[in-house]
Amino acid sequence: GLLAHLEVLEADAREASVKQEEEEKLEALKARAQKLRLQRDQLLAKVSLQQKGHPEDAGATAAPAPPSAQDVLEWKLKSLKSTLQILYLTGISGKLTPRGVCFCISTAYQGTYLDSYYLELLSEPQVRIRRHSIPIFIPLEQISKKYLQTDIRHFLSLLSNHLNAYVGRRYQADQLQEHFSEQIKGTLQRNSLCNLLVFNYDVSARSKTFPFRARLLYRDLCCSLPTEVTISCTPEAPASLVKVAGTHSDLFHRVALHEAFRSFSTAE
Amino acid sequence: MDKITCQIYEDEIKSLEEEIKLLTEKYEDSQQESTFFSEEEILMSIKIFETACRGHLSSSNLKAQLESLEKDLSFIMKFTGIQFTSHSKKTVEKTRNRTVQKHKLSGNCHALSFKVEFQLLEMRNKENVSAVVSDLSIVMESGEDLDVSKFVSSTEKHGSLLTFFRSLSSYGEWYEHRRCTFLHFK
Repeated sequence: GLLAHLEVLEADAREASVKQEEEEKLEALKARAQKLRLQRDQLLAKVSLQQKGHPEDAGATAAPAPPSAQDVLEWKLKSLKSTLQILYLTGISGKLTPRGVCFCISTAYQGTYLDSYYLELLSEPQVRIRRHSIPIFIPLEQISKKYLQTDIRHFLSLLSNHLNAYVGRRYQADQLQEHFSEQIKGTLQRNSLCNLLVFNYDVSARSKTFPFRARLLYRDLCCSLPTEVTISCTPEAPASLVKVAGTHSDLFHRVALHEAFRSFSTAE
Repeated sequence: MDKITCQIYEDEIKSLEEEIKLLTEKYEDSQQESTFFSEEEILMSIKIFETACRGHLSSSNLKAQLESLEKDLSFIMKFTGIQFTSHSKKTVEKTRNRTVQKHKLSGNCHALSFKVEFQLLEMRNKENVSAVVSDLSIVMESGEDLDVSKFVSSTEKHGSLLTFFRSLSSYGEWYEHRRCTFLHFK
């Protein structure tokens, strides 16, 4: 009797307290949302005024307080940061470290920036690489043996050429796979360095056969165009296509892979 | 019922916080980008700042940061040979994942001076940031030279900003090398 009654009262009290907590939480959230809404609206008004009342409007409102020395220096700091932020666009950027430099080599295909690679160098007792993110198939050791001690600029330049060419070849293969997959039989075969590509293809996206077989070899690792192009026709292909294969060979020598395929589509 | 209302408020709060962040950035970017102080004004401010806040920790922090960034910038420009004399940018669009800015960069690489303008689109996804340059315009001092103008127009057409800078730097290296060689023979 009494114990059971006490238990019921206890349960009721707990339930009431939980309910009160929930209500308080809800009230708090409501209040915060309201506060933020107000803050957001004030900011919107501030930004809108800023967009309208630009330099041309100088003097229309009460002149703002002249900038303090601290304001000027904070402006300069932001300005420096923003220039440093786009340095990667030049291809080679870097930061001084306590014991040397950390370089960043950026790569791009035309206007599209692709991967960035890092190289941390120590300067004492002699220039050496502390760590890096250069892929293993890039001949880093060979290049550093030759130039790291004597001409760092040339070392980085050469490395940049290798990396940009590799990334350029990879980009072309990726673009081909992504945008012209219907004209390629299966997937493009390539090695890690992307300097050997093999694939069967056709010029038309609608055909079901792939009469041409391409083998592209890029012997010059600093180049993103092939040095050797072999286009052959599959045994089932009509004889008339042999001549066409010849023109393709010339095309792949001169033009980026995906651009070459783009020209097939427009020629159709 | 209450749980759902809670969730609705929480979602609204999150969205408002993000909106506020973006609006604050927009306001600050706009302030930053429409202001300009000359080197003299900056040098003067450094002097004023030093005397006014002598001994304060915060002041030395600002000055130390400035010096550190100037040092980094000066180092890399000296190393690559590509010296920027001015840089201005205007943020055209900024959302959580996407920023579009217009940049104006002037500078020189050894004897060659250039003025470059372009639009930079940066997109952020989970793993990395991608960047695309478009609307590239390059003006070079020796623009009348046929080879230079051919190079410039081909570079502009494809937005190949990286190629432009790398070629400039390469040319600068060659130029320096040639100059040193000539000096050697004098």
